[in-house]
Amino acid sequence: MSTSSKSSRRPCLIAAILAGLIATGCSPTPPAAFRLNMVEAISPTAEKDSIAAEQALTTEQQRQVATILAAMFGTPDEPVCLPEAGLDGSKLQLAAGPVRSDIVGRKNGLYREHCVHCHGITGDGLGPTAAFLNPYPRDYRPGVFKFKSTERADKPTHGDLVHVLHNGIAGTSMPSFALLSPTQVDALVEYVKYLSIRGETELALMRYYFELDDEDEGKLPETREFLVDEILQPIADKWASAADAVIDVPEPPADLDLAASVAKGKELFYGDRANCVKCHGVTGLGDGQANDYDDWSKNIVKIEAKLASLAGNELEPAEHRWIADFHDVLDGDALQPRTIPPRNLRKGIYRGGRRPLDLYYRIHAGINGAPMPAAAGTVSPEEIWHIVNYVRSLPYDFDGELGVDRSMAVQSNVAGALAAQETSDQ
Amino acid sequence: MLNADRGKPQALRDAAVDRGSLARGGGQSRWNVPRVLSSVLVAVTFVLLSFGALVTTYEAAMAVPDWPGTYGHNMFLFPLAEWLGGPWDLFLEHGHRLLGATAGLVAIALAVSAWLWPVGPRVRWLAVAAVVLVVVQGVLGGARVLLDDTTVAKVHACTGPLFFAVTVALAVLTRRPAGVDQPSAAFSLAATLPVAAYGQLVAGAQLRHLDPATTPPVFHALVGTHILIGLVVAALAYAIAAATWRSVNRAAHRWSAAAAGLVSAQLLLGGATWVAKYGLPSAVLPDAWRLSEAIVARSGSAAVIVTAHAILGMLILAVGVVVAIAAAGRGVTAADAKPGVRRTAAGLREALV
Ligand code: HEC
Ligand code: HEC
Repeated sequence: MSTSSKSSRRPCLIAAILAGLIATGCSPTPPAAFRLNMVEAISPTAEKDSIAAEQALTTEQQRQVATILAAMFGTPDEPVCLPEAGLDGSKLQLAAGPVRSDIVGRKNGLYREHCVHCHGITGDGLGPTAAFLNPYPRDYRPGVFKFKSTERADKPTHGDLVHVLHNGIAGTSMPSFALLSPTQVDALVEYVKYLSIRGETELALMRYYFELDDEDEGKLPETREFLVDEILQPIADKWASAADAVIDVPEPPADLDLAASVAKGKELFYGDRANCVKCHGVTGLGDGQANDYDDWSKNIVKIEAKLASLAGNELEPAEHRWIADFHDVLDGDALQPRTIPPRNLRKGIYRGGRRPLDLYYRIHAGINGAPMPAAAGTVSPEEIWHIVNYVRSLPYDFDGELGVDRSMAVQSNVAGALAAQETSDQ
Repeated sequence: MLNADRGKPQALRDAAVDRGSLARGGGQSRWNVPRVLSSVLVAVTFVLLSFGALVTTYEAAMAVPDWPGTYGHNMFLFPLAEWLGGPWDLFLEHGHRLLGATAGLVAIALAVSAWLWPVGPRVRWLAVAAVVLVVVQGVLGGARVLLDDTTVAKVHACTGPLFFAVTVALAVLTRRPAGVDQPSAAFSLAATLPVAAYGQLVAGAQLRHLDPATTPPVFHALVGTHILIGLVVAALAYAIAAATWRSVNRAAHRWSAAAAGLVSAQLLLGGATWVAKYGLPSAVLPDAWRLSEAIVARSGSAAVIVTAHAILGMLILAVGVVVAIAAAGRGVTAADAKPGVRRTAAGLREALV
């Protein structure tokens, strides 16, 4: 065997591999770009009454939304914000753009360094890793946040978001960023708000097409009065007023000993008014009603239902187009909807934090975006503290037989809870 | 030699190896400069690649915005105090550049020495290839910074291990004994190991230099590819280790056993890397497997795990190259020959007593 001729081919081989690599890799990465909210663009809404109008916004309209957003918010590499948005531009600069660090070691591009692989460039929760995670990473665009100190429908405060970033979300893949400096966390929170306000503005613009008059000819007015005063300002105001919406938490009742409080809480948990048992189950294992979706998945489920209702009908061309658009969207712009199970309360893993105060907020206001309702309307603040104490006792309440709670539940109104569950199952 | 020697007592076989390695020394001088330089090059390149891996882990590539200078200084004249006492990112990136330049100089010296010493055409051309590769790699590194482009970063990350593989091949071949041996039966199998290991590094680089605009389905495919090739590499390493287990080619046996061990560790490290980077893949795990605490992002231990995974990948490639050369029957390394000397002496004494 001629070893030398064989081995002299080796450098050529290496050169060929190298050339191949460069050839395949030579298309440079395009600059980062925001993506349009395609799910919203094709969603059937109440305003879109005729079936033919239920197709996507026209390409022209989608282009107009993209143009307006670029003018108002800039690009992922160069964010801009109008003063009305109430955001701090220097913090955004620190968080936006590609990752780079300067001579004193200060890092820019923090969002792309720490968050983008889960939450995506647009903050749509469609980062590369999203499909592997359960729950999915948060889509900030509707401006809905779960773990906060404010009333259900209100925005989180700056401090709430800092808290989430600092502690992470236990039981999910959202990590803790406790090792970042406070300045960095601050900048990231500002950027999350930026992406939220941008996403909410996009939603508002897209929905506005269905309130246009005929003389508008399907185009949004591109005036300051409309874009800033009518669209942006109300959104920014909600963020600015978050601090006013913080829940008033009274002192825990001091005159009652813990065991008595837990017993009261237990009664409320299984009782009619709080009715926690309906979802969290008679055992507290989270095995009650488990077939609901969160708000993000509901959007997709709604479109799927629409699709199912069209099956078997004679379809107009517009409907065919809508169905094709929908499948495109599902392929690249949306994640498979998933049901959201009520929490297993016997594990003691609380995503919004395990301080009694955190649980008070959760029970008072419910979990925005999730089926978990606010208890505030039906039970008093003092009673909420009893429920908090009972919930906190649940992980330690195991005496070898979870069924102990069942008899308690039967005494109270579990029959009603189960009946309610059955009706909603259908 | 090995096949022909089959059946001879171990002591005699070792003696043969030893004669071979002594005979080789009789070139121009007692010093085999290409052999020394190639070892130095392997060592420098290993540190260079480790720095490169750290640069990627800490996303420090853009810590120095200019190239080929560093903040306006000639690279070599950048103040030492600022480099060693400056920010971590700057330390990594500038260190990576200094090591790269050093590797380039050593590679050139090696190529020159390969034309002055009687090393044979194989080593000569390989040394030239090393110079070409290191120059291309340097330019790619510069382009990565000047264009700030992730695609270039990916190519840069793929060329590095290729250069490392060449330096390792050089280090092994400059040590090879004079006798020409018959390739062992396991050669064709063994030769696939470095190829697969390199493919795995290419797949891994796609994940480490992930374009943030990658969609979930594409990421899914990338991860699937990386896991699949990983399993292929593992299967190959185990198969080669099994095939050479009882072989008289002790070098092939030893190095393939090492490869199997490294690959096993790498599989575990790969899983740990996922968790360190992305948390638990909760969508594919049972619900009971939730961690009760959030993982702390960007911890030192996470950086160590992730970087070690990349470095071990390069080591597997290097060992794969050694295995392939050893299985070709050409590479009984110095490490094999030296214990042989000792054993020969012991064997002789035994015979004399
Ligand atoms: C490994 C993936 C991952 C990374 C990295 C990540 N997140 Fe998250 N994040 C999640 C998941 C998953 C959730 C949803 C948790 C839930 O719904 O319970 C989430 C939720 C959030 C929320 C919503 C909290 C709430 O109260 O509703 C915010 C805000 C957030 N992340 C910000 C960030 C920021 C800022 C970064 C970067 C510094 C980041 N995340 C990095 C996975 C991630
Ligand atoms: C309609 C169904 C429903 C009802 C009624 C309900 N929950 Fe929930 N609960 C949920 C769901 C769903 C989640 C999980 C939400 C998530 O993962 O974002 C949850 C989560 C929780 C959590 C976990 C919070 C955290 O930080 O992780 C607690 C505690 C909780 N519920 C307590 C209660 C209590 C107490 C009641 C009665 C006052 C109650 N729930 C009533 C559906 C319900």
